[in-house]
Amino acid sequence: MREAFILVGVLCSLAGIAQAKPVTDGAGRQVSIPVKVERVYAAGPPASMLVFAIAPDKLIGWTRAFRPDEAAFIAPKYGALPELGRLTGRGNTANVEVLLRERTDLVVDAGSTAETYVSLANRVQQQTGIPYLLLDGRLDAVPDSLRVLGKALGEEERGSMLAEYVENALRDIKGRVSRTRPEERPRVYYGRGPAGLQTGLAGSINVELLEYLGARNVAAETKGGLANVSLEQVLAWNPEVILTTDPNFYAAVWKDERWQNVAAVRAKRVHLAPHLPFGWFDFPPGANRILGLYWAGLLLYPGAFPADLRPRIVEFHRLFYHQAPTAAQLEALLGEPGVLPK
Amino acid sequence: MLKAERLAFGFPGRTVGEGIDFALAPGEVLCLLGPNGGGKTTLIRTLLGLLATHAGVIRLNERALQEHSRKEIAQLIGYVPQAHAGAFAYSVNDMVLMGRTAHMGLFASPSAADRDAAGRAIETLGIAHLAGRPFTEISGGERQLALVARALAQEPRVLVMDEPTSSLDFGNQVRVLGRVRRLAAQGIAVLMSSHQPDHALQCADRALLLGEGRAIALGAPRDVVNPESLKHLYGVDVRIVETTGGVHTCLPDYALRQ
Amino acid sequence: MSRGAAAYFGALLALCALVALAFAIGRFPVSTGDLVGAFGAKLLGLTHPLPENVETVIFKVRGPRVLAALIVGAALAAAGTAYQGMFRNPLVSPDLLGVATGAALGAVLGIFLSRDVWTIQAFAFAGGLAAVALVYWIGSSVPRHDPLLALVLTGIVIGTLLGSGIALLKYLADPYNQLPAITYWLLGSLASINPSDLGAVALLALAGLAPMLLLRWRMNLLALPDDEARALGVDTRRLRLVVIAAATLMTAAAVAVSGIIGWIGLIIPHAARLLIGPNFGRLLPLAMLLGAAFLLAVDTLCRTIASIEVPPGVLTAMLGTPFFLWLFAASRKGW
Repeated sequence: MREAFILVGVLCSLAGIAQAKPVTDGAGRQVSIPVKVERVYAAGPPASMLVFAIAPDKLIGWTRAFRPDEAAFIAPKYGALPELGRLTGRGNTANVEVLLRERTDLVVDAGSTAETYVSLANRVQQQTGIPYLLLDGRLDAVPDSLRVLGKALGEEERGSMLAEYVENALRDIKGRVSRTRPEERPRVYYGRGPAGLQTGLAGSINVELLEYLGARNVAAETKGGLANVSLEQVLAWNPEVILTTDPNFYAAVWKDERWQNVAAVRAKRVHLAPHLPFGWFDFPPGANRILGLYWAGLLLYPGAFPADLRPRIVEFHRLFYHQAPTAAQLEALLGEPGVLPK
Repeated sequence: MLKAERLAFGFPGRTVGEGIDFALAPGEVLCLLGPNGGGKTTLIRTLLGLLATHAGVIRLNERALQEHSRKEIAQLIGYVPQAHAGAFAYSVNDMVLMGRTAHMGLFASPSAADRDAAGRAIETLGIAHLAGRPFTEISGGERQLALVARALAQEPRVLVMDEPTSSLDFGNQVRVLGRVRRLAAQGIAVLMSSHQPDHALQCADRALLLGEGRAIALGAPRDVVNPESLKHLYGVDVRIVETTGGVHTCLPDYALRQ
Repeated sequence: MSRGAAAYFGALLALCALVALAFAIGRFPVSTGDLVGAFGAKLLGLTHPLPENVETVIFKVRGPRVLAALIVGAALAAAGTAYQGMFRNPLVSPDLLGVATGAALGAVLGIFLSRDVWTIQAFAFAGGLAAVALVYWIGSSVPRHDPLLALVLTGIVIGTLLGSGIALLKYLADPYNQLPAITYWLLGSLASINPSDLGAVALLALAGLAPMLLLRWRMNLLALPDDEARALGVDTRRLRLVVIAAATLMTAAAVAVSGIIGWIGLIIPHAARLLIGPNFGRLLPLAMLLGAAFLLAVDTLCRTIASIEVPPGVLTAMLGTPFFLWLFAASRKGW
């Protein structure tokens, strides 16, 4: 009798093993993914974007609910998916029990692949028994991430197609940048926060776009992540272009007498990054920044980048958000003060 | 100068004592005698207006105490608490100067006249050599003298002293009590609490015996400080003995057994 | 020269030297000639051709920041001095009743709601005042207990409560955008000082300072046990209320523009007391001079040693500790 049970058990696990496929994720981890994946939990916005792009019907929820202006760009049935909270990374609001309650088949995370996040991934995987894919969030790694994810979700074709789109876009952008002369590459300051005095240092993910575009980040003399700088330092740097993600700073900079003599302000080259439905420039650090590359590229190298961003936006939204923006939405997006040169 | 009429006193919600009647005249020394926990300090705090009365009236200079402002009370009554160390190292001079606050305006700083008054008080107490020293670095006895000087700097008509010799060695006790008699001779009314019967017998004109919040007796020390009343207050046996010059002293029974 | 006079003289000298130095150095290169020329033009109307932006840097960026450092340093030191005297405890800081924590909660809330700089500062100021008002109201509603102890305990409890509010907001904040802004605000900085901020802070600090100066003699009596002070003619309850209100006004104004800069309100009054004794009338001005000089020195370092800003709280602790230990070792006993 006991032997019969053991036999059945062994056969079942063999069957289970036969029904899984091994996938190597962005951190080099070998993860065994079941063949049928129906319910996917995305641990943060960059991952949400990737999963939503490839298999929107398999996404079980978003890490935070959409605001009305953001939700307008997503089809209602997807926009209304439940808010499940973030799992790892900075700020952890989801309960691991939520994963189990939601009968998750696969957890996907995209971002840093450093040791901390690898060990977090392993811990959650061990604790819940749910396979956990950790993908690399850097721009250059997006195509690979899309392919790996496509394989894991059983949507290899779609994953491949999206990966090719991104590869082409990145190649296109690199090409345009390489055709600009070094002296045409402006000195850029990226100002975050309401006072515009927070910036990204050399190598930080916050200014990845600037570095990709070959722009000269004035704060690049120091390596690191985010840092505060003084206004005096910004005046000493005297950037030619200022990019920001804070509408309060954008509104204030024109009225503040201390900023008036900065080259960028005088030349009216201060710009506010679009943020719908996901931010284009710095955060969340996901595939959404492809549009940001075209936007920033246009602002930094006006001659080298297509002046009309609308076709790109429509194409990207169709592919990644499954909904093309209406003409009115495009106008609102691009017409927000500061997004495009006057 | 300072009168208590059918006074009941205590803490908010708890009466500690009642039925206190006495009148303190200028130049008179009244010793408040009683055991610890008997209510001496609470009575003193009530007489100073620091605690509300529960019944009866306190009259300062013929007016009810509550009709005086804090400032007026401070100008008439000098309070000498038991000496303490204090958290900050004010100089003796500054400590005594604090006594002048009652005579200063709200936003004023000590004037030359105030400094003179403080200086005189320091001289009177014989501690001029300590004037510049930090209060925290002098001995307990010297601190007590400084606190008496502070009370004197108020130029009060009444001195209320709470066990002024508690932490003092014998020499300092003698010095402080000697001062008390000399101050009374100058016309200041003195109310002094103590738990030593000898203080009542040798320094005071009258004694008020306070036991469990009630006045056991009030009168000339040689009349009221006797073995019966002391047995009632302290539960010990003593003998009152008369010595040279008509002065009495209290001898506990262990001193009598040979 | 008496010890007190020497201390004053030394502090004043140090302050002047630091102000001159602070104007002369910074991330934006300004030559001495240009510096003198700019001042000459401003004060005496002399003409002097200046390279672009130098005038802006000197008078609109560096100048306000130097003044802000002086005001904030003096305000924190004054508030700390007043509290240490009032609570009879040399280990007390201006945040004892929760003003800095309340201000922090206000600012963090402002950042969480994505407000502009002015609104964040206004929230911070209001938060600081509200926190202390709450603490005072609760602390003085328990009549049976020692009033100071009641205030201290209430301050600790409410401070902890407000701190948990801050922690909650940090948890809920967008980790990419709001959380870094919150973190930097809590670390403190004078980098975003605006000339218009300066006017408001100076006015509020002065409004808090005036009662302290006027009542400087009476404040000494708060060092005595309550009974003694009252017996000496002081209305201790009212005096304490005035001192708390004044100190809170100054500290809330300072924290609203500079974030949390610790150590100054705790250590500077000590240092001043070791030099000149506890008499408030002499202690307060010296503490303010030392506080202003110290924060100016720290802030000048914060903005010049690297191209990125160093949080002043880090340097105040690093520089303040050895300075204080040296003073302590060289002094007589007693505070």
